Amino acid sequence: MTTSIFSGFPNLPLFPADLWPAWVAGAAIGGFAFAQRWLTDQPLGCSAAFGNVCARAGSRLPLFQGEAHSRATDWKIWFLVGIFLGGLFASVSIDTWAAPTHWGPLYEALMPQTTLGRILWWLFGGVLIGMGARMAGGCTSGHTINGVAMGSPASIVASLLFFAAALGTAQLAQFLLKLSGRLA
Amino acid sequence: MNSHSLIVRNGSFMLFGVVFGFLLSRAGATDPALISGLLLLENFHLLWVIATAIGVGAVLNLLAKYFHWRNLSNGDLISFPHKPFVRALVPGALLFGTGWGLTGVCPGTAPAMLGEGQWFVGVILIGIVMGTWLVGFLHHIRLKHTQSHPS
Repeated sequence: MTTSIFSGFPNLPLFPADLWPAWVAGAAIGGFAFAQRWLTDQPLGCSAAFGNVCARAGSRLPLFQGEAHSRATDWKIWFLVGIFLGGLFASVSIDTWAAPTHWGPLYEALMPQTTLGRILWWLFGGVLIGMGARMAGGCTSGHTINGVAMGSPASIVASLLFFAAALGTAQLAQFLLKLSGRLA
Repeated sequence: MNSHSLIVRNGSFMLFGVVFGFLLSRAGATDPALISGLLLLENFHLLWVIATAIGVGAVLNLLAKYFHWRNLSNGDLISFPHKPFVRALVPGALLFGTGWGLTGVCPGTAPAMLGEGQWFVGVILIGIVMGTWLVGFLHHIRLKHTQSHPS
């Protein structure tokens, strides 16, 4: 279910409804990533910014010092702020917030049922994502959209492993949930 | 870099972010139900999004390489810095994939999802910062260990 941003509007069917065709959205993302490279000579990437967040929050750990997370690279944080505003604009432009519960049957069944349990679940998932992206040196944007399009060997290996692990996790979760009767 | 050009730089990357976040949203990449659909091999919408993005990017990169296109920021040839093959890449990529598969969220889509109104992603973002910090902490412990026990 979706909720209207401006009260008085009936619930507009917005989220999956305003999905662009896959090839249009994909071409736009690929073209955007290249445009950023052309305009700034900086490759697309999202996860390094979280190292800058650690440094700006006062962490003295050596991994977050040095060139890669210096104040001169804080544009990485501003890029994430922009992504937040882009998501906000995506919702405002169609006058509907994305449903905060649009998880689909798999995640609905997989998540703990209590609020506290869910908070811990999301924290745990976030820790895995944060650790993994930092150790692998990038995430789905830096390695997959950017690195694979350059033919970078490390990025191709990382992307294959991202998908293999995610696919395996989801399939195993579905199998166990069906076995225990929690998923039809 | 003086403070004026720093503001221009941060501001332009924020604008790039707005475009990227909007596109991720319209692509459906911010929808955990579509992500689980892909991982369960039930809905291939996001596979075509990713494949088209990589394909278009690869063609543009090849054109830029062979025709020596220059970037607009300082007029040098556009660079294609490959990410290094670090030792932690394999376990890291597997951990990342597991977290992605369990939540349907990744570091780039997370801020866009929060902006769309999916408040639960705020907790995941805190988790991502904690996980990033943890890698820095473990790296620090290992550094101390190698310094006190040189092999």
